[in-house]
Amino acid sequence: MFQFINTLLIGITAGSIYSLMAIAIVLVWRSTRVINFAQGGLALASSFVGASILAQQISFWIALPIAMIAGALFSALTEYFLLRPLLKRSGDKGEEIFLPIIATLGLLGIIKTILNFTYGDRIGSIPPPISDKGFVVGGQVIALSPMRILILGIVLFLMVLLTFLFQRTNLGLALRASSYSPEISRLAGVRVDVIRTAGWAISGAAGAAAGILQTTNGSGAISPESFEFSLLLVFGFVAAVIGGIESLIGAVLGGLTLGVILAFILMYIGGSLVFFSAFLILIVILIVRPHGIIGVKGGRRA
Amino acid sequence: MHKVKTLRFKTGIGFFLIGLCVFFLSNVVDEWRAFQGATVAVYVVAIASIILLTGYSGQISLGHGALLGIGAYAAALAQIYAHLPIWLCFVTAVLVTAIFGALLGVAAARLSGPYLAGTTLALAVGLPSIASQFSILGGEQGISFNVGWPPLSLGADFTQYKWFFWIATIAALIMMWFLQNILSSRYGRMWRAVKSNSVAAELAGIGIGSSKVLAFTISSGVAGLAGALLAMTTNNVSPSVFPLALSFSLATGAVLSGVNTLGGVMIGSLALVAIPEIASSASNLWSESENTAMILPELIVSALLILTVFLAPKGPIEKLRARHRH
Repeated sequence: MFQFINTLLIGITAGSIYSLMAIAIVLVWRSTRVINFAQGGLALASSFVGASILAQQISFWIALPIAMIAGALFSALTEYFLLRPLLKRSGDKGEEIFLPIIATLGLLGIIKTILNFTYGDRIGSIPPPISDKGFVVGGQVIALSPMRILILGIVLFLMVLLTFLFQRTNLGLALRASSYSPEISRLAGVRVDVIRTAGWAISGAAGAAAGILQTTNGSGAISPESFEFSLLLVFGFVAAVIGGIESLIGAVLGGLTLGVILAFILMYIGGSLVFFSAFLILIVILIVRPHGIIGVKGGRRA
Repeated sequence: MHKVKTLRFKTGIGFFLIGLCVFFLSNVVDEWRAFQGATVAVYVVAIASIILLTGYSGQISLGHGALLGIGAYAAALAQIYAHLPIWLCFVTAVLVTAIFGALLGVAAARLSGPYLAGTTLALAVGLPSIASQFSILGGEQGISFNVGWPPLSLGADFTQYKWFFWIATIAALIMMWFLQNILSSRYGRMWRAVKSNSVAAELAGIGIGSSKVLAFTISSGVAGLAGALLAMTTNNVSPSVFPLALSFSLATGAVLSGVNTLGGVMIGSLALVAIPEIASSASNLWSESENTAMILPELIVSALLILTVFLAPKGPIEKLRARHRH
């Protein structure tokens, strides 16, 4: 029972971080119908920004927002200089659907070389700002630590912020409208191109937060050749698909579901099967419930 | 399609000439070049399998490295536990990977581009770690795969790498011949029909799902052979031989070759082998840090990737053809 609750806590914390990454993927998908395979790389670059600010003995509470702003900037630049010309060029025919995928892969390579060039063998370090020692309950150390509470708090805060943004502001309305129907929104006077860039920017900020939190929750260190961030991208993608890839709430639920399932596999079956299970979960979801577990009908064509 | 016959005759001569060139090349180059030649041949097989899948059947795979891995492990296990002769190990690699590909293809056929890309990426990330779970796969150290020394009848000074070069080239030529034929057969036409207009293809009586599954199966089988060949050149099969980066390089090679034309496959394969070499000698020339030599290849490849996407989205060969037509 004790181990069960611990596993659940670990799963929920990890899952909340996957949720953030899933939100980043969903936002990009909703604004341009593209999966950004450089999302992990952009998050890594933003985390390096955060790490270099922390290295100046500046507080975590300044480093996190600055990294998120950097993430937003990186992501917006990507949309503006890479995806927008590409999508304009290939038109809406979508005959060469693999081109955006390949372009984001190329970007991923370039980000990695830039990071390698700047940092080389040096690794960035993002230590937990507060204690990551678990609380002691009844003589036993549980998996819940102040740091984990902080992670959950940050994720929750960002979710509330995003919900407010999407439901209560004009920008949110424009984002929803141009995702629902770019043509009609354009006719209604929404500047769809600008809104798309804004969608990418928010996505970049969410990805940066996911990257930083993932690092503090994990090893505390990042390197330019990080495998962690490829995993983060894949887990975020799986979480987004579980949630039906259109919905922000779905992304959150998908992330938490994935986090908890993977934590139990890690604890009870075996560590080396975790990565492969993510693939199996993805396949099962795509075959059994292609529109995601919360079931936005017509949300996507498989 | 009225050109099919002359085309086959020409390609027959082409294959013969390529084989002849390789034969003479293998006699004049040193060990390192022979090894690189073998690597090029391995990439030819692997990239051809991606071109078949993406260019002709319209499905995307970012996880072909994982399929290569399956083929390699299948070949090595066949050698270690079933003591099969070496050519049967290669056949086993093809069959096992094709079966796996058929299973994967059933799921893949229902997915559109970005989903399939994400799913195959998840496979490439997830599959290598399985090696640590089952002791039969040898964990991180992996297991050995040894094609043995060249037969004595080829002469005493016939080196190991030259032997790899020969095996890989012969396998690549057979595979290219097979793929050429299948692409100009009714299956090839079926795939192209489904890719260019799936509704029209369905009305013409083509089973879209089964045609996609077939393409995935064949592509996987070919990838499995490439994996076994790759394992041959490294003498060993371990997760580190099939990292995520391999999947990305293969996708890159396919794009540089032009995914719509099988004939461009040499461009991508040569580029994947030549770019690191050129980059390292270039960075030696500037005599900068070792770091440059490490990152320059990836920078060049990534930049080429983005340039290709913008300047020649259908690949360099189609680009040249289009220029000739005007």
